[in-house]
Amino acid sequence: MANISLQHLNKVYDNHVQAVFDFNLDVRDGELIVLVGPSGCGKSTTLRMIAGLEDITEGRLLLDGEDITAAPAKDRDMAMVFQNYALYGHMTVYENMAFSLTLRKEDPNVIHRKVLAAAEILGLTDQLNKKPKQLSGGQRQRVAMGRAIVRNPKVFLFDEPLSNLDAKLRGATRREILLLHKRLNATMLYVTHDQTEALTLADRIVCMSMGHVQQIGTPLELYDTPANLFVASFIGLPPMNFFDVQVKGGKLLSSFFALALDEQEKKLLAAYEGREIVLGVRPEDMVEGGDVSVSVFSNENLGMNTLVHGRLGNSPDSAITCKLRGWYDFKAGDTVKVSFVKRHFFDKETTNAIRAKGE
Amino acid sequence: MDEMKHVRLDRMRYTKNKLASNLALLAIVFNVLYFVSIYESDVGSWYYSLLIGASIVYNLLFMLMAFLASEGVKNYRIGYAFLLLAIGAGQIVRIFILPLKAYHATVTISKVTHQVMQTQQFATVVLLLSLSAICCMAAGVVGVRRSRMLAAYNASLEEKRV
Repeated sequence: MANISLQHLNKVYDNHVQAVFDFNLDVRDGELIVLVGPSGCGKSTTLRMIAGLEDITEGRLLLDGEDITAAPAKDRDMAMVFQNYALYGHMTVYENMAFSLTLRKEDPNVIHRKVLAAAEILGLTDQLNKKPKQLSGGQRQRVAMGRAIVRNPKVFLFDEPLSNLDAKLRGATRREILLLHKRLNATMLYVTHDQTEALTLADRIVCMSMGHVQQIGTPLELYDTPANLFVASFIGLPPMNFFDVQVKGGKLLSSFFALALDEQEKKLLAAYEGREIVLGVRPEDMVEGGDVSVSVFSNENLGMNTLVHGRLGNSPDSAITCKLRGWYDFKAGDTVKVSFVKRHFFDKETTNAIRAKGE
Repeated sequence: MDEMKHVRLDRMRYTKNKLASNLALLAIVFNVLYFVSIYESDVGSWYYSLLIGASIVYNLLFMLMAFLASEGVKNYRIGYAFLLLAIGAGQIVRIFILPLKAYHATVTISKVTHQVMQTQQFATVVLLLSLSAICCMAAGVVGVRRSRMLAAYNASLEEKRV
């Protein structure tokens, strides 16, 4: 049982730089929360505050209702897995995994059982007598996870654990973390800048920018209904396309197209009549055939899909990426007509998504 | 095999034999103390001559062998455990070579007779060599015992696997 409550957390460093602003989150027992955002957005700082490695300047941190804001790291019953593994090079895998328990002077036989159980879960049983340098990056990361598992902590904290791995290994280890979470059913907080990791692992995602929480929600919520331009541009690969458009007479007007609004959209954008807004369209929400002309300058075949990079008209400022289903062989200079299947609207001034009242 | 014994044996597959290894290192420490104690004599240079060279060489050899053996027994290698038993016995034998001879020996310098080694010094070096010997042999015994236990356990696991 481990519920965490982060209440109005703020972090201001000694040099008066504020890294985290008013962070609020309730993590339910057994939930996997992913903190995602670009470098320097405050996600690792938040995790380190939870772990007790950074002081909390303002706010409260509760673990199962108990205030642990000022508790030292060792008393928080949390285990952290770092990006650089932090393994002891002179110790074997077994010794690395047993180390924290040995320090606590636990019975060696109990330690042995715990280490073997963790090794079994992580598929490290045959590697227990090896030193870290004899292991691959993925295996080293599993050892680091094993070291966390043997402690049987209330909360697991992962600080970009896959960043040092190559793409293939990252995918495999990501699946292992997911299986581990299902098996242990433990509360986990996971920090990454990789939105693919966030979307595939998380029960809920916390998207951060410049120290502020931009949106908290399920992966689908963040993908489907981004709260603002930042979230819309950060979540999704390739990123969402944005166009400045004017709402006028039931249409979206730009220099390159005029798109009719449906009844629901008209209602949604009624307050913006005559004003400029930002139209967002995901590359995968486009299909061939329609009113928007794209001047192609490159074509990438991905097998099932084709990525078409181009411009609207001939303007260099109007780059667009389309992810069309199927195999296409467009040449540079070709023109392809596309239509937008799903559209997102953002207020140009606040950058927030334009939503129907009550949504 | 009861559960606790099984766990203890299984643990040996992943942990070093630190007891045997540390005992061997302790034997080196006692040997070094012996080495620096035995030549403390006002008349030593009139008595020892060639024995000093041989003693130095053996001490170096002892330290080398004991250190290698400490690393070997740490990894449950039975050959090194037997080596420790042998050099432990060697430490006992050494008591009867240099210290005992020096204890009984006298030298006459300017018509004055001197005893090469006093009783207290003799007792000290005998004690140090004995401690070194005990540590070596204890390390050897622990090494042999644990190596055999582990080998038997590994064999039983192999049998189960087959």
